Amino acid sequence: MTRSTSTLNSIVLTVALRNLLGHLRRTLLTVGAIAVGLAALIFLWGFNEGLHRNMLGNFQNAIIGAVQIHHQGFFQHPELSRAIRNPERIVTGLEKAGVARYSRRLETFGLAVSDTTTQGVMLIGMDPTQEQLVTELAKRIGIGRFLQPGDDYKLILGATTANNLQAKLGDEVIIIGYDRYGAMVAESFTLAGIITSGEMGLDSGMAITSLSTLQEMVDLPEQVTTFVINVEEKRIPSLVDELDHALRGESLEIMPWYSMFPVMKEWIILHNGFLYLFIGVVIFIVLAGELNTMLLSMLERTREFGVLMAIGTSRRQVAMMMLAEAVLIGIIGIASGILLGYVIILVTAEIGIDLSILLGSTSRFYVDPLIYPHLKLDHLGLTIGAILLASILAGIYPAWRASLLQPAEAVRNG
Amino acid sequence: MPDQTPTSIIKARDLHKCYWVGTMPFPALHGINLDIEPGEFTVLAGRSGSGKSTLLNLIGALESADNGSVEVLGENILAMGRDQRTRFRLQNIGFVFQAYNLIRVFSARENVAYVCQLQGKGRKKSMEIADHWLHEVEIGHLGYRRPDQLSGGQQQRVAVARALASEPKIILADEPTANLDSMTGRRLIHLMQDLNRRLGTTFLISSHDPDVKQAAGRLIKLADGQIVDAWDNIPKPPIAPASACPVENLPLTKRLRNYLREARKKALNKRGHKMNEDQH
Repeated sequence: MTRSTSTLNSIVLTVALRNLLGHLRRTLLTVGAIAVGLAALIFLWGFNEGLHRNMLGNFQNAIIGAVQIHHQGFFQHPELSRAIRNPERIVTGLEKAGVARYSRRLETFGLAVSDTTTQGVMLIGMDPTQEQLVTELAKRIGIGRFLQPGDDYKLILGATTANNLQAKLGDEVIIIGYDRYGAMVAESFTLAGIITSGEMGLDSGMAITSLSTLQEMVDLPEQVTTFVINVEEKRIPSLVDELDHALRGESLEIMPWYSMFPVMKEWIILHNGFLYLFIGVVIFIVLAGELNTMLLSMLERTREFGVLMAIGTSRRQVAMMMLAEAVLIGIIGIASGILLGYVIILVTAEIGIDLSILLGSTSRFYVDPLIYPHLKLDHLGLTIGAILLASILAGIYPAWRASLLQPAEAVRNG
Repeated sequence: MPDQTPTSIIKARDLHKCYWVGTMPFPALHGINLDIEPGEFTVLAGRSGSGKSTLLNLIGALESADNGSVEVLGENILAMGRDQRTRFRLQNIGFVFQAYNLIRVFSARENVAYVCQLQGKGRKKSMEIADHWLHEVEIGHLGYRRPDQLSGGQQQRVAVARALASEPKIILADEPTANLDSMTGRRLIHLMQDLNRRLGTTFLISSHDPDVKQAAGRLIKLADGQIVDAWDNIPKPPIAPASACPVENLPLTKRLRNYLREARKKALNKRGHKMNEDQH
């Protein structure tokens, strides 16, 4: 940049800044509107992200985990004939990928029978020690206790299922199922715990016992149908790729949670979509507000622009003055908005936002009533970029109008 | 008016300008021919609406004529594009406006320095130039004040300093004393005269202020968009009735003497006609 260009840029900026300071009340009102708008958006993003994290965390921690590995086709047709043939190979693959939190399960369908009635259930055999690394099932036991190592022929039921069966802690519950050969088998279990999570998927139709018990019942010693893995959300895609590559040729399906339950993913996308719409509305309001300020400023300063042009200021420089003013308002508003929004996020992330006051029970949707906002930098960047763009757009029209002024007419009529 | 002379710094030929308000035409200039030589201190006089400001605007390349040509420093400014005109004004013409029109968010020295910075001079150099010109217009001590902290006369002095700071060949001043009290106005005019004499800068001033007209080196009177009268004023002659003012006795250029003789004849004829009509 040449010295004269830098001098001119400095004049343009100085004029813009001085004019903003010269109309302090108007500037503060516009800056305040942008700051409040941005802070609101930051809070909404944070709340939204906190809600999603909460919901996804609960959803994954409840039973399904972040990623599951099955024999090819098991997810669609969960039959014992599709048990994993070589589980040790998968364990090696997981360890190689640095996955420490995984659990082995054997899953089949059965019929729970009590003294009074029957109920179809998903029968899951799991290792209680491994399971606690992957899910938080143990925390969802409302009555009794979760499985412990060495607990054979103990059963955990969902509250709805236990209620339907009219089973109480310590009662005997018969489970009827099929073994690996398709022959009918029946086993007696003692009810050790009842899940009272409020989550539909857990409270209804779930029967959990120890892995060794179920393996013995269906005559599949040392075999499992499912590996459940717990990893951070951002690690999921790369882990799936790595495992896919490492376990190629094993006839396995490596499924992230969103492939198994796409509705949940779609719900999040839809929810984000609403937020984008809201951002659009807020940015439109910011744009309209700032455009109004800039147009007022332009009209008030018509004579000044005429004089500036008369004494040798080019049309481009006049336009740049208006544009610089709009961008400066935007930048100051954004800086204030970030500060305000950050404080709001900081406070609410510390104390949480209790949704139960507004919504009552939210556990049916895997949502804890207490939401802790969490701000992601990419959301912040997107919002800042959009508001800055709105500020530039708000300056373009008045800048263009100012550049079209005829000096003599502007001095005469301004 | 006489034909162009090679020394003219401003040369206007057959200038026509008409403003339109809706479909209503308002003729402002009607066939103006004008030559201004370097170093002149010329005053355009006339009533409001006579076309003084329009003529200044055309000469200052602030607006376009409907017809005719304006050459300033040998350049046909009406043929220039807008950006070219802006650059031309920046380098060659200084403006002083009736309402001072300073940038209100700048101090006096920043206002003056602004044009220097536009010319590409550095901030420090521009400020030095500003201080110099503020000193020249005798308000060097007020450089850090904003326009709203200055009186009207002081603001107009800043405007004059700003006009001079770009070292223009010509200064166009549109009613520079109209918003000033008579004493302040006279001081300003003396200041401009002094600068004109010392620097040789050409001043073209529109005014209906008698003091300004009195100070004019050359006075051009406009009415209804036409030049109706013009005379040199150096040294200042008493403005006598037509019959008592022999043109030959005035220290005028030959061309102006001829012009005035013709104008006077026309005026006498007109007066004679009027008297005859009154007698009838």
